[in-house]
Amino acid sequence: MADRDSSFVPSNQQRHLRACMVCAIVMTQSEFLKKGCPNCEEFLHLQGSMDTLHDCTSQVFEGLIALSDPTKSWVAKWMRLDGYVKGVYATKVSGTLPDEVVAVMEDEARIRFIPRDGTATDAD
Amino acid sequence: MSTANLVNENFDDSEDEDDFNPKPADLSDVEDAGDGEDPNVQIRNEAAKHLADEDNNSEDGGDRRRSSNKSQDEDEDDEGGGGEDEDEDDEEDEDDEEIAGPKRKRVKRDRRNVFLDVEAEVDEDEDEADEDEEGNEIDGGFIADTHPDDLADLPAGGETDDRRHRELDRRREMEASLDAEKQAEILRQRYANKNRSGRGLGESDIVPRRLLLPSINDPSIWAVRCKEGKEREVVFSIIKRIEERMGTHDELKITSAFERGGIMSVMKGFIYVEAQRSADIMTALDGLMNVYPRTKMLMIEIKDMPDLLRVTKTPPLEPGAYVRLKRPPKYAGDLAQVIDVTDTGLELRVRYVPRLDYGMNEDMNAQLDGSKRKRTAAGPRPPQRLFSEIDAKKRHAKHLSGNPQTKSWSYLGDDYINGFCEKEVKLQALTTKDINPSLEEVTRFASGADDGTENLDLNALAASLKQSTANASYLPGDIIEVWEGEQKGVMGKAVSIHGDIVTMAVSEGPLRGQKIEVPVKGLRKRFKEGDHVKVIGGSRYRDEVGMVVKIAEDRVTLLSDQGNNEITVFSKDLREASDSGGNASLGQFELWDLIQLDPATVACVVKVERESLVVLDQNNQSRTVLPSQISNKIEKQRRSLVATDRNGAQIKLDDNVKEHAGETRTGKVIHIFRTYLFLRSASQSSNAGIFVTRTSAVNSVTAKATAASASLDLMAMNPALKLNPGAGNGGDMPPPKSFTRDRSIGQTVTIRKGPYKGLLGIVKEATDSSARVELHTKNKTIQVPKDALAFKDKLTGASIDPNGRGGRGGFSGRGGRGGFGGATPGGWEGGRTPAAGGDLGRTPAWGLGRTPAANGGRTPAWKKDGPDSGSRTPGWADGSRTVNPYDGSRTSYGGGNRTPAWSSGAKTPAYGGISSNAFDAGSKTPGYGGSGGGDAWGSKTPAYQPTPAADTWSSNNQSSSNSWGSNAYDAPTPGAPMSAPTPAAAPTPGDYSAPTPAPYSAPTPTAAPTPAPGWGGGWGAPTPQAMDAPTPGGQGAYYAAPTPGAYVGVPETPAANWQDDGPRYVD
Repeated sequence: MADRDSSFVPSNQQRHLRACMVCAIVMTQSEFLKKGCPNCEEFLHLQGSMDTLHDCTSQVFEGLIALSDPTKSWVAKWMRLDGYVKGVYATKVSGTLPDEVVAVMEDEARIRFIPRDGTATDAD
Repeated sequence: MSTANLVNENFDDSEDEDDFNPKPADLSDVEDAGDGEDPNVQIRNEAAKHLADEDNNSEDGGDRRRSSNKSQDEDEDDEGGGGEDEDEDDEEDEDDEEIAGPKRKRVKRDRRNVFLDVEAEVDEDEDEADEDEEGNEIDGGFIADTHPDDLADLPAGGETDDRRHRELDRRREMEASLDAEKQAEILRQRYANKNRSGRGLGESDIVPRRLLLPSINDPSIWAVRCKEGKEREVVFSIIKRIEERMGTHDELKITSAFERGGIMSVMKGFIYVEAQRSADIMTALDGLMNVYPRTKMLMIEIKDMPDLLRVTKTPPLEPGAYVRLKRPPKYAGDLAQVIDVTDTGLELRVRYVPRLDYGMNEDMNAQLDGSKRKRTAAGPRPPQRLFSEIDAKKRHAKHLSGNPQTKSWSYLGDDYINGFCEKEVKLQALTTKDINPSLEEVTRFASGADDGTENLDLNALAASLKQSTANASYLPGDIIEVWEGEQKGVMGKAVSIHGDIVTMAVSEGPLRGQKIEVPVKGLRKRFKEGDHVKVIGGSRYRDEVGMVVKIAEDRVTLLSDQGNNEITVFSKDLREASDSGGNASLGQFELWDLIQLDPATVACVVKVERESLVVLDQNNQSRTVLPSQISNKIEKQRRSLVATDRNGAQIKLDDNVKEHAGETRTGKVIHIFRTYLFLRSASQSSNAGIFVTRTSAVNSVTAKATAASASLDLMAMNPALKLNPGAGNGGDMPPPKSFTRDRSIGQTVTIRKGPYKGLLGIVKEATDSSARVELHTKNKTIQVPKDALAFKDKLTGASIDPNGRGGRGGFSGRGGRGGFGGATPGGWEGGRTPAAGGDLGRTPAWGLGRTPAANGGRTPAWKKDGPDSGSRTPGWADGSRTVNPYDGSRTSYGGGNRTPAWSSGAKTPAYGGISSNAFDAGSKTPGYGGSGGGDAWGSKTPAYQPTPAADTWSSNNQSSSNSWGSNAYDAPTPGAPMSAPTPAAAPTPGDYSAPTPAPYSAPTPTAAPTPAPGWGGGWGAPTPQAMDAPTPGGQGAYYAAPTPGAYVGVPETPAANWQDDGPRYVD
């Protein structure tokens, strides 16, 4: 299912890592640029757009999750990652998604945006 | 059966098939024996078995149909199942593995189902569904029609069979009946989901988290040790391994792995792996770097699992907040202030105080090879200093551009505004937690305001400080209150604290008596008005102590003990205070220290704050200073430091003084600086009780002030006096000089100290302090300090009074004799001699030399130091005398003094025995007394009295006066006996004669006393003499008592006499 060759990032590339603010997937910047976000590309359109990339992904994240089976993993369920592809995710992504992006996402893609920066944690 | 098994593989997780048949009897058809121990396998087997059964009863309704439904779902529906995880799992598996074969097959079957109207069928149990490949032709595919939602997903599978088409038609009809809006909605939803790679956000999207809590059916999570700081790497290597082995035989069976590392994290050093079995973890992690699955793995309890993934929001940074720079290294750790935050919150514009050297150090490097440039960064970084365009122009004019009016410059690629460097930095280049800016750092930003005024943004500071102490410190025993969450309002006492969880014993309300655990963030400390508290948290009021006066929410206002001002802090920053006063020192500066602000200004510390001091300067102005502004601390002055008050009385430290005018405050002097006094008054609350006055404005009120001044030894302070130490002894006059020849000359002495100790010699020459002594042992004259000399009698070798007189004694022998010679009959001498012998010369000598009487009386006296009338005095004092005028005189001699003195009386008795020897007694010491005054000496008398006295005189004397009379008489008596000694004896008769001799005696013994009349007349005694006369008289007669008398008489003031005599003698 993974349309990427590998989620692995050698340590010398890890400083270029970014996390998608929508799905929290963690990839290198170049990978985002090249392939977009495997989960959110439909509405984020990161592919090839450095500006959007900078707006919608964050270099500040913490708590990496290596997700090998999103369907069975409770971790994925709890982190609301269970519809996503395998790969590496972050538990927390700092940064705020631009409002217009959120609007597009919720109105057009009908996806409820779950902030990944910890604000939503205590909501329910 | 191989196909079945292949299919079974896809149902790994259909573990909850409760409605499955009992265990299959026949497992033989299971081929994957290798997995025998895996419960899943077993389940799979069961499923397979079931399948077989189903095949057998292919007509069977319920179950069968259900399974067939499911089989269709595999292809068509994604979300349709509703809540069942298994559904997805199955699908997932199929997606992964089944794509090739079975799918196609099923599709065909579906087609067959198309014509069957089984839409009403409920798909309650999809789990068994998939087994139906063979037997479920009839059932297949119905589910597709059961849910419009499902239909929505149809296109995802790319199905193109006509069943779908028909459904589509049907749907369209249905949709046509809906209004357009709803239709649009549905469409949007449908396509949205489709677009999202199949399943979009998944079902948990909408489900509240509390419904997502882990259950026993979820995989477990184990904590596995890993190398600290390598958590991320480990996670990446795990994902790498997962991907590498995906689809292979040894695919990893872990479902996820995560880390929550970080420098500040409590979870660092672990990664957490989610899997069904711990064995899976072992195999998955085996051989990975930096992770140690073989050390004890810790299984996380289900209830703790959500906490592992807890995410707390980092409070957004607001403009004005303080952060610290992490890089570049030159600025690492420097405080910066946020000016602006980008929308994403990931980039900030900050300003900070630049560290520039304006190329001052560059030249040296420039001359070096370019490759060495790196070293520039390695050197000590320049100090923080606001940007100076002047400095920049010196060497780097070409790099500088900007506008002097707005004070904004661009220099070497950076912007400098108002002296600060402003820069866009990324969030990850900053430290935003636990900033704890010190006041000194913050003031740098404050002083940089445009108009030069200080506009310290206390709110921003407070925010920085507040957030930095989010981890409030609770201690067991703190009274706390829950103010957030379900237990809001619960109060109790903290029992224990572990990390962020406080265990509290509830003290009020329905939960009373229970212990509950509460996260720190929902807690606050509870205080009551009037509590005495101390600020412990990181506000600038730290260590203030005061009393709570107001509580609002979690803000507490307290009245500081020190400053008497109100301060407001968060309750979490407070703690019940057991002490008072708080920290009284900041660095080397303590409360009440005297410090120097500038050469002309000193000040007294009146308050110590966390980073600053409040001081009261000599002009009575208080100000706040930073320790760095203090040039030095003036050590507590010496105690001897004094000043004078307006009356000229001295003031010392710790004295109490009172203002003369004004408020007439009183205070204790704690510092004296020139003419300023820093006083401390207990009754004043401001400035910690310190106030300043001039010395000329106060009066000393110390009770001991006068005493203190009196005790001040002015003599000791007079240097003039110090020049002459001799005069320093209490100002005593030195003994008058005698201006006579030193009396020690010619004396025989022994040396008491020094190398010649013990040697005997004769003083040849003498000064005031030393003497030259001619040694007897060898012909040598040495110089010896006088105090090392002991004077010896020349003849007897007995110690004598070194004071001239002793010498006289010695001389008296000669001189005395000589002197008396004339007066006294030779006989006398004889008499005397022996006496002298007996008495070691001196006394007796004296006695001899002088009238016996004199002896008696005086002797002792003399002995004491002849000159001292004192000794005599007592004698005189004797009431006895008084009583008897007669005796008086005599008695006087006999007077108490003698008596005891003569205790020799002991002897007396002896003589007494020889009553006849009245003289003896007398002659003896008393002898003399006895002889001459001897009797007169009644003194001894007492002893004698009984004896002879009574006999002889008793009548008279006694009658006349008991004491005296007796004595007087006794004197004779005893005297007589006393005199026994030689010469006395002779006179003995005199004894008797005494009476008779009275006439004689008169002169003599009496003389002694009498001498006065006769001689010196000094003695008042004379009168009685008449009486006495008889007694001693007799004796005296013989003895020439007269003589002594004479002597004695003279002496009155023996000293004088003697002295006078002295020369004579000496001669």
